[in-house]
Amino acid sequence: MFQVITRSTPVIRLLAPRGAVLVEAVRGRKTRTDPKAKSKEGRIKTPPPVDPVEMVVLRERFTEYDLIMRALRLEFKEEMLRKRYEEEVGSLAEERAKQEAEEHRSLMTWNQEENLRMLKIRELRVQKEVEAAEVKKAEAAILREQAMEHFVKEKEGEIMRFQEEAKNFITLENLDQRIEEALDDPKNYNFAIDKDGRVVKRTVLQ
Amino acid sequence: MVRLSSFLLKTYHGGHIVIRLAMAGHKQSNRPFYRVVAAYNKRARDSKYIEQLGSYDPLPNIYNEKLVSFNSDRIKYWMGCGAHPTKPVAKLLGLAGFFPLHPMTVTEAERRRALVELAEGAAPEEVDKQQEL
Repeated sequence: MFQVITRSTPVIRLLAPRGAVLVEAVRGRKTRTDPKAKSKEGRIKTPPPVDPVEMVVLRERFTEYDLIMRALRLEFKEEMLRKRYEEEVGSLAEERAKQEAEEHRSLMTWNQEENLRMLKIRELRVQKEVEAAEVKKAEAAILREQAMEHFVKEKEGEIMRFQEEAKNFITLENLDQRIEEALDDPKNYNFAIDKDGRVVKRTVLQ
Repeated sequence: MVRLSSFLLKTYHGGHIVIRLAMAGHKQSNRPFYRVVAAYNKRARDSKYIEQLGSYDPLPNIYNEKLVSFNSDRIKYWMGCGAHPTKPVAKLLGLAGFFPLHPMTVTEAERRRALVELAEGAAPEEVDKQQEL
């Protein structure tokens, strides 16, 4: 779009650049197709009056002002650049860099020492843990052996009991003998027993 | 408030930085208050700015003063980076002494003085006429 100068002060009109278009570029409530209001039909819009003497004086003042502003701008730019340069490359920056490097080195050495110390402590700890584990293992082995022995003993005891009981078993050879013994020895289970263990053999006879 | 993105992400084609007055967010009150602010040209007046460089209170206080503040170091920095001040900011800075006095300030003052002189010239004439009558 072209540079549009609106109904502005005469100063800006006169100081306008050459390629600008002096057009009324007012947008408002109405679109371009809406009709003009009845009270405004015969209205001719005129710009405010310009005093030529004042205009000349003003022109001069503006040129001076622009000159000073441009000079100020350049000065500020130079100052900013100098500050930036000093920050990055100046003497203070070098000192700061040196200090930071020194700090870094000292911190690294300290870190190294800390690492060694922790290593020693860790070594001791690990050794102790290994020893404790070994001791535990030995104890566990002993316990296991003891358990095994106990188990074996129990089993042996059971075997002995079974063997002894086996002596009283009825086999094919003893069969006749045992039958004879059983028949010879009748047993009477017809008795009552109390919780206290008192036996009552006398029954109610009918 | 945490700024999550830097200004480098939003690039404007053909935009520049301006130093202008932005209304501070005292909404629903008949009490304007402006901040002198460095912002991109294309942004809305009150929206995100780059840096606040001062403030301006347009209503006079109990001592009949309008208080203005400027951060001159940062204004110098932004002017060196190529920021353009707007007319009211330039006028205020001119009155403060940071910039040369804006020509329009002088012109307005002269015009007002001329009007006052005219009024004084008219009033004694009227008084004389009335006396004559």
